[in-house]
Amino acid sequence: MGETLIRVEGVSKRFCRSLKRSLLYGLQDIGSELWGRSHEGNGELRRGEFWALKDVSFELNAGEALGLVGANGAGKTTLLRIICGLIKPDTGFVKVSGRVAPLIALGAGFNPILTGKENIYVNMSILGLSKQEIDERFDEVVEFAEIGDAIDAPVQTYSSGMAARLGFACAIYTAPDILLVDEVLAVGDMRFRVKCFHRLGELRKQGTSLILVSHDQNAILTACNSAVYLSGGNLIASGEPHLVMSQYEADLFGRKHAKYSTGALFLPEKSQEESLGLDLTYLCFKDNPGKIIGSPICGKSTNFCIGYKTHRPINNVGIIILIYSKSGGEETILRLSSFSDGVTFNLMPERQEIELQMPYFCLKPGMYSMKVLIGEPGHVFLDAVEAFEFRVDESINMSQCIFYQPRTWQKLSDE
Amino acid sequence: MHSPTQLHVYTPDSELRRPRRLWRQMRRDLWASRELALRLAVRDIRAQYRQAALGFAWALILPLANTVTWIFLSASKLITVSTTVLPYPVFVFVGTLLWSIFMEAFTSPLQQTSAAKGMLAKINFPPEALIISGVYQTLFNAAIKFGILLLILPWLGINLGFGLLLAPLGLLAIVLMGTTLGLLVTPVGLLYGDVGRAMPLLLQFLMYLTPVVFPLPESGWGGTVMRLNPLTPLILTGRDWLTGQSPEFLGAFVGVNILAAGLLLVVWLVYRLAMPILIERMSA
Repeated sequence: MGETLIRVEGVSKRFCRSLKRSLLYGLQDIGSELWGRSHEGNGELRRGEFWALKDVSFELNAGEALGLVGANGAGKTTLLRIICGLIKPDTGFVKVSGRVAPLIALGAGFNPILTGKENIYVNMSILGLSKQEIDERFDEVVEFAEIGDAIDAPVQTYSSGMAARLGFACAIYTAPDILLVDEVLAVGDMRFRVKCFHRLGELRKQGTSLILVSHDQNAILTACNSAVYLSGGNLIASGEPHLVMSQYEADLFGRKHAKYSTGALFLPEKSQEESLGLDLTYLCFKDNPGKIIGSPICGKSTNFCIGYKTHRPINNVGIIILIYSKSGGEETILRLSSFSDGVTFNLMPERQEIELQMPYFCLKPGMYSMKVLIGEPGHVFLDAVEAFEFRVDESINMSQCIFYQPRTWQKLSDE
Repeated sequence: MHSPTQLHVYTPDSELRRPRRLWRQMRRDLWASRELALRLAVRDIRAQYRQAALGFAWALILPLANTVTWIFLSASKLITVSTTVLPYPVFVFVGTLLWSIFMEAFTSPLQQTSAAKGMLAKINFPPEALIISGVYQTLFNAAIKFGILLLILPWLGINLGFGLLLAPLGLLAIVLMGTTLGLLVTPVGLLYGDVGRAMPLLLQFLMYLTPVVFPLPESGWGGTVMRLNPLTPLILTGRDWLTGQSPEFLGAFVGVNILAAGLLLVVWLVYRLAMPILIERMSA
């Protein structure tokens, strides 16, 4: 353990979107390769090219699992292909010690006419095993793939799930030092997927390292001990999986909107004509000591403060707060109504603050939007804020949770 | 089973910068691909014959069709073919059979590599295996053709001589030349589809520059071109050995083979160096 298996250092890669030009550059590159010149060229982009990867560096140690996240086209697959040695980097270098098996190509080389058995032999040969090694593993592969008697039937008679299972089984039994898993776990049913993760876990215990590409945040958070976040070919963040993932998610959902609140939202003063007698003046979160915070922290004691100004005395004022999740289809996930709680306020003409005290802030980390309504009973609203957007930060690992459960743990004594 | 530390370093530098390491890797990959190549060849041959009702007959159909065409053209005097030592049908049949072996060997590298694009784009395995697999398949089909000739030629009244023992060498020489030329065009052919399209046309033209359906003209510029064509001694010697005649161009035959073997080393190197650049342009 601890030994560095993969070292990626300042790796960049150029691609060209125009097919015609890319072919021409291909000829050029072959020419310069044969001429003994470096792939780097002058280190600049040629016309029509873009950086598919730019100056990416990270390391993977023996026995570790690294999650690779990023939107489509962020350069994840390109990076894996460079690590595999399929394509050359344009700058930097990659050092790989150990045998790499890609789980990217499930069933590559499967011939539909041949039987499952014949295909196992072909597929595992391509992955670099000798006949003897395949003989030794054959039964395990068939058992893992749950193919049964169909092993002697042509692969074209298999369901797509069966073929994918067979491909996965072939790849996973090649006993590599480093396994590259690119989105393949999306195939197969739930049960098989669980089985795959279980098997990956076993392999890791035996010392196999893993690079996992996935859009499934739970997969990354449960399986990996570090993560790398790529965007537009650049390495944006790397390190602790839940930190990297929360940044990835924030970018994914936050990009469309302006900056999320970093403090209080101050509302412009209304003129006498506009006002219905009660105006909201600001909204903000405060932590327990009473300091204004931009983003509440999941699980912590938090107060939500609503500033108001009245022009006349108003009785029985209540507040309704609706919270929408920005990452979950924008549905309402929480409705807090002071009317339901049997709480109303009698307000005098003044500037004051109403405080909603939450001993535990139970929303899970993510992006949210809040609608605040203030008014009298019977849907007589005097003012409202349509969208107060905020982010919830995390304090503990919240993977696989949809809300925070306040709790204490205790050992009972025998007395 | 694996060496404990297989260290690979991937850099932007040209592999040619470290020729000794490159040569070591090339030999290692060639050795490593022997079993895979065989497996791929068996896979393709099985799939091919399992899905064809006529099976092995396909090895014969093309040369047979060609022979019938030329016998018709010659018998109907549409085209006058100068007299051949062998009966003309035998001459054409053996010639087109040898030519079909050359054609297969020539088209195989590009075809095999193109067909494996999906694999190449995703898995790092020695690409040599594809070429060797193609050679195995060509040899397999050539062996069938050779077997058929052994049955048919005596029936057509040809005395098979001791030269027959050398005939496999003639077939190998044709496969060697075909593979070398085919591998030469493969890197560009993988980039540009034009190469694959031009191939049948080129082969057609090349056939008329080689004494496949005509004997070698004694004089004229056509004869000169044919004599310069490196395929000529291969086809002629192959046919002579198969039909019990003493080969006329044995010296040229040996020379062409040495040339082809040398060229094969060069085009293998080019193929190898070009591969990562070509894979870049295959979708993963």
